[in-house]
Amino acid sequence: MIISELNAIQKRYGYISEAELEALARRLKRPIHELYGVASFYPHFRLSPPPKVSVAVCTDAPCHMKGATNLLKRIRDLAGDDKSVEVKRCSCLGQCDRAPAMLLNDYPYSCDREAPGAPRGESDLVDLARRAMAGEAVEHLRFSSAAKGPFKIDPYSSPDEHYSVLKQLLAQGGFEQQVIDKIKAANLRGMGGAGTVAFRKWQTVKDQKSEQKYVVCNGDESEVGTIKDRELLKNLPHLLIEAMAIAGVCTGATRGYVYIRHEYHEQIEIVEQELQRARTLGALGSNLFGSGRTFDLSVFVSPGGYVQGEETALLEAIEGKRGQPRNKSWDVGLMAGVPAFMGLWGKPTIINNVETFMYVPVILAKGPEWFLAQGINGAQGLKWIGVGGDVARPGVFEVPMGTTYRQAIELAGGMAGGKKLKAVCPSGPSLPFLLPSEIDVPMDFPAWDREGKPANPITRLGTSVGSAAIIVIAEGRDMVDLALNMTRFYRNESCGKCVPCRIGSQKMVDIIEGTARDSDLDEIARLSDAMNMTSICGLGQVVSNPITCVIRKWKDDVQAHLKRAVSAESGRTVAQWNESGQMSGSAAAGAGLGGV
Amino acid sequence: MAETSPGPKKLRLKIDGREYLVDATKSVTRTIVEHDRERHVEVHVPQTIYDAAKSVGIEIPILCHRDQLNLDGTPVPQAGVCRVCAVEVWMNGRPDRVFAAACCREIADGMEVKTVGKAQNGVDIEQTRRTLIELLLADHPAPCVRHREFHDCELELYAERYGLKKPVYTPRAVSKGTDFSNPSIAIDHSACILCDRCIRACAAVENHIIGRMGKGYASSISFDNNKPMGQSNCVNCGECMVACPTGAITYAGGKAPRPPEGVSMLLAEDLRKLPTLGPMFRRISPSFLKRSEGAVWARNFKKGEIICRQGEFGSTAFYIDSGEVDIYLDVNLGHLRTRKRSGGLFNRMSSLLFSREQDPRREERLSKSIPIDSSAGDLEYGRLVARVTAGELIGEAACLNFQPRSATVRAATDDVIVIEMLRNVLDMLRKTREFRADMERKYRERALVSHLRSVPIFRDLPEAFINRLRDRVSLLPFEPGQPIVTQGDPADAFYLIRMGHVKVYESYADGQVMVLSYLSRGQYFGEIGLLTPGGVRTANCTALDHVEVVRIEKRDFDDMIRLFPDIKARLQEVAEARLRENRARASQTRTLSLPQYIEQGLYIAQSLLILDLEKCTRCDECVRACAQAHDGITRLVRDGLRFDKYLVTTSCRSCRDPLCMVGCPVGSIRRKGDLEIIIEDHCIGCGRCAEQCPYGNINMHPIGHDRRDPVTGEVDHPRKAAVCDLCTDMCLDENDDPACVYACPHDAAHRVDGQAFFDQYLLGARAVSEKMQAK
Repeated sequence: MIISELNAIQKRYGYISEAELEALARRLKRPIHELYGVASFYPHFRLSPPPKVSVAVCTDAPCHMKGATNLLKRIRDLAGDDKSVEVKRCSCLGQCDRAPAMLLNDYPYSCDREAPGAPRGESDLVDLARRAMAGEAVEHLRFSSAAKGPFKIDPYSSPDEHYSVLKQLLAQGGFEQQVIDKIKAANLRGMGGAGTVAFRKWQTVKDQKSEQKYVVCNGDESEVGTIKDRELLKNLPHLLIEAMAIAGVCTGATRGYVYIRHEYHEQIEIVEQELQRARTLGALGSNLFGSGRTFDLSVFVSPGGYVQGEETALLEAIEGKRGQPRNKSWDVGLMAGVPAFMGLWGKPTIINNVETFMYVPVILAKGPEWFLAQGINGAQGLKWIGVGGDVARPGVFEVPMGTTYRQAIELAGGMAGGKKLKAVCPSGPSLPFLLPSEIDVPMDFPAWDREGKPANPITRLGTSVGSAAIIVIAEGRDMVDLALNMTRFYRNESCGKCVPCRIGSQKMVDIIEGTARDSDLDEIARLSDAMNMTSICGLGQVVSNPITCVIRKWKDDVQAHLKRAVSAESGRTVAQWNESGQMSGSAAAGAGLGGV
Repeated sequence: MAETSPGPKKLRLKIDGREYLVDATKSVTRTIVEHDRERHVEVHVPQTIYDAAKSVGIEIPILCHRDQLNLDGTPVPQAGVCRVCAVEVWMNGRPDRVFAAACCREIADGMEVKTVGKAQNGVDIEQTRRTLIELLLADHPAPCVRHREFHDCELELYAERYGLKKPVYTPRAVSKGTDFSNPSIAIDHSACILCDRCIRACAAVENHIIGRMGKGYASSISFDNNKPMGQSNCVNCGECMVACPTGAITYAGGKAPRPPEGVSMLLAEDLRKLPTLGPMFRRISPSFLKRSEGAVWARNFKKGEIICRQGEFGSTAFYIDSGEVDIYLDVNLGHLRTRKRSGGLFNRMSSLLFSREQDPRREERLSKSIPIDSSAGDLEYGRLVARVTAGELIGEAACLNFQPRSATVRAATDDVIVIEMLRNVLDMLRKTREFRADMERKYRERALVSHLRSVPIFRDLPEAFINRLRDRVSLLPFEPGQPIVTQGDPADAFYLIRMGHVKVYESYADGQVMVLSYLSRGQYFGEIGLLTPGGVRTANCTALDHVEVVRIEKRDFDDMIRLFPDIKARLQEVAEARLRENRARASQTRTLSLPQYIEQGLYIAQSLLILDLEKCTRCDECVRACAQAHDGITRLVRDGLRFDKYLVTTSCRSCRDPLCMVGCPVGSIRRKGDLEIIIEDHCIGCGRCAEQCPYGNINMHPIGHDRRDPVTGEVDHPRKAAVCDLCTDMCLDENDDPACVYACPHDAAHRVDGQAFFDQYLLGARAVSEKMQAK
């Protein structure tokens, strides 16, 4: 596999040299441009010798709100002209409840309130960087658990019971359709944010005739604010493995991958350990609990990038290609665009989010009715949410679906410093934000009645629970600045495959960053239409969400913005942000491309 | 299997409010690589919205999609990245949430497509397209190099079409740079729109040099591992340049082909202005034309001057731009025959030329027509000259397939202007729709009748029916190696070869293949499957070089044999004979075991000269005897393969894969029913077959006296090809030995047939040696 080969080279030499890449191309009999294209696509890969110390500061919304720009500046000043030190920005590290956060030599450090010896704020992080630059060995941070059990999602009261749902199914036999029917009855939704009914993927894969099928877990959690899968993987890895094994035996798949972002070192380790345990127990391997059936899993460490969370881009990454989303079902017709028909290596593939999989054991153990009854305020089921931003105690919580955003803020200790609420982002940058007057809406996925009219309150507000990456914004913050920050995130994470997203996201940033003009609003609307309607994948289709939503709902901020030059970062040229490594860390920086 | 060809399924499709019935699929050729071997298969793929709209005359704008074929005839895969072809798609009365890329999306029954106007959610479809062009334009150095020179950068043409001038969006702050490391191809990354066309074009010719690198707004094309192009493994084939829609990849000067001394080349701009070919040249990428300057030129000829001469090798084709030319064969019609002469034993033979009337040979083809390499049609046996007027193309096969000139072309008027072009230019011209359409129209008007009539079976086909066929047949090009029909497939058409060579072979379950025949211009195939109800293809027919065939659909073929029972009967005779021969050959070859023996085709050879090396003293009497028997030119070389103690000397062994038949410019060499090679009377003596024969068994035999051209004064030495005739005419009766055998003083030479040699000599010898070893 190309990615693991590249990882091995990087692990051995610290970077992927030209010679090594050429040798790999010869060995794999692949064109050299293909391997270079892959290696230069993913931020994890280095194409030049690594510096002695590398610091990457997350600058996305929750960290941005906690002064990431200042942190970046302080560490830059600290490094000065030292060429052996690399200081750059990076995209969301999934530490939104512990902002600000940074990577020090590829390991995450953030302000964990509970972990002993963890940094408590900006100055501690600067100090860590200083120690590293001075040549001191800096210990990897052991994070505390941000979510506190017991968890309703876990049907087991002790580790001894783990995997008993799978064991029972295999003992009883003939369960395949029943399992899918129960998932259907429980109305389990895709918890990665899309909220589509989960049973359909399972049913389609089961119904396909194919010698090989796959089960893939999307644990790439990279959307700004999304931290729930981090805690699920850390606390309840057995549920994921059991659910994926159940998916395997139900659909006839024998092989699976757990795709986890590379910054989640701890989670990767925990899942690997649990895989070993599951194999020892007989829950994985060539003879599941003596049934003679086969299913095995391995962890696939993502080489990085938010767009990898797009399911087809994720599959491309596993296949060792540039992680660009495939043309979609609306572009190519049902079969080719849908992983359940043509997924990993063109085979039928179930690909679900971590949380989606993890509900399966409890639904089977306690029944769909139990699961449905967990919801409140007219919603059904459970939801794991992450709450970050201007709240007193950010964290990850398991809540009944239908919990209101007001309740979510209360769970997180209320507004930080007793400030007034200005906005709530229900799903990071991707879905329309809520005004303070709207936060009593019960969180849920959108629903429509037969006539196409909204069937629940959140749909009427034109938004959704999404991935439940809740970012709380207090009074005093500039919504245009927030929208700019979020638009930059999308630009930085665009794969570049299609025109509307590749160029549109940059031009959208340009418009917001640039000298404010009255025509901006029209231009944004027009650009937004083109991006929403013609981008290949969901990333491009939501790039304009933050700014259009702010224009619609926070008119005062927009008017203020139109009257003055924008944020502190405005006026910086593309060249400058290339230089500071805002784009992927590869040698892809715009200037000097192939220049002679 | 259905007897009548059902044709592709039809689907109901609504485009911009109008209902259409369109084919559900289109047929394309795909290259499949298995075990490092390429195979071309014809597959039916669903039509895309773009294809379907185009088929009913609606052009949806495209930018990254390329509506052309690759060099090997396979379609360019869609990338679906520019999104300019975005359309709104409705199924079951509901629109998709977002627009679809028309170049990728497959059509379905009942689908409604909106290419312009407002979408359901109020978004203007044309406006989103305009926005995408504006986005690209913002970072594009307009006018780019291509637009400055030729005014046809595809992006800037759209900009003009949409009336976009000043970029709305802030341009890219820092240019993506240029790359002039390759002396002939210039790269301007800032003009690149990342349509992936060059990447696909590079992959299509199996070079695999260009890829995408980096991510997001910083991504760009790169060569190998981001090398400057000139230091990469690029072979300068120029495909990327031709594929590029903008000024990102353009011609940078450098070494170009040069026209002959004293002839001035036509510049790219001149080509685009030519009155006749100009519109066709305007369809070709100007970068390509620029790069091909020197590969095409114009020449003037006065009456009587020679434009090209039969038998010569030439790498150009001639387009007659004005005036008239005569195209003729300068041959003595006849074949060589060795006759007994009175006198001594070894001096009793002489070779003379006999015409087919004087000396009819078994299975001689009595066709009147002699195929020549001209779009204007063939020559006739009795009339070896034809007048050709402006607008015709001569020497297409010589240029594309490296075959000798089939005839001499001489200016017939004083105002002849010929556009002479090299292969790369002709190849590109042939890919343009206009050129193909023009050549096809002329072919239908002028050549089709004589072509059809040249096939003896159709000689008597009434004018009315040929007129009916005229508009119904299609002219199809095939690239070297591309399959035309595949064994086992349902028979759906009849084919007549207009240009090139078609290899006919059977494949067997064990993966072995047997070449049944090579067919060339004027010959036909595909009738066997059509003559049996629900018939399938009994053999594979594959293009050996650049081939063009006339395809007659099953329904027309059925009509023909229904209306003209005579033709049916004659076709059936030929078909049965072909089948018989094939079966005989197959049964011969299937029981074999000695691989090399089989590979060399010895088993099926009618007659081998074997020398017992234990007896042979290398005195070369056999060679001398052969030479003496054939006017001093030996048809025998004492060299060849050794089996056991026997040397199988080189003499025509009627190969399994008779390569000598490939490339004859006038189709005068062919196989008779019994595998023996026959050279027809109109052989022009070019020597192609002699070169092609891997065993050196065909010799060129001078005939008559040298001739001097009355106009040019050039001297010509007429020749004819001759193949070992086993001294058939010398031998008085069947038991007589040929000269070579007769001459051997040591009883070392024997004439045997392949099977007898295998059974008696080889197996016998082995049995003896095994016995010896056992002892």
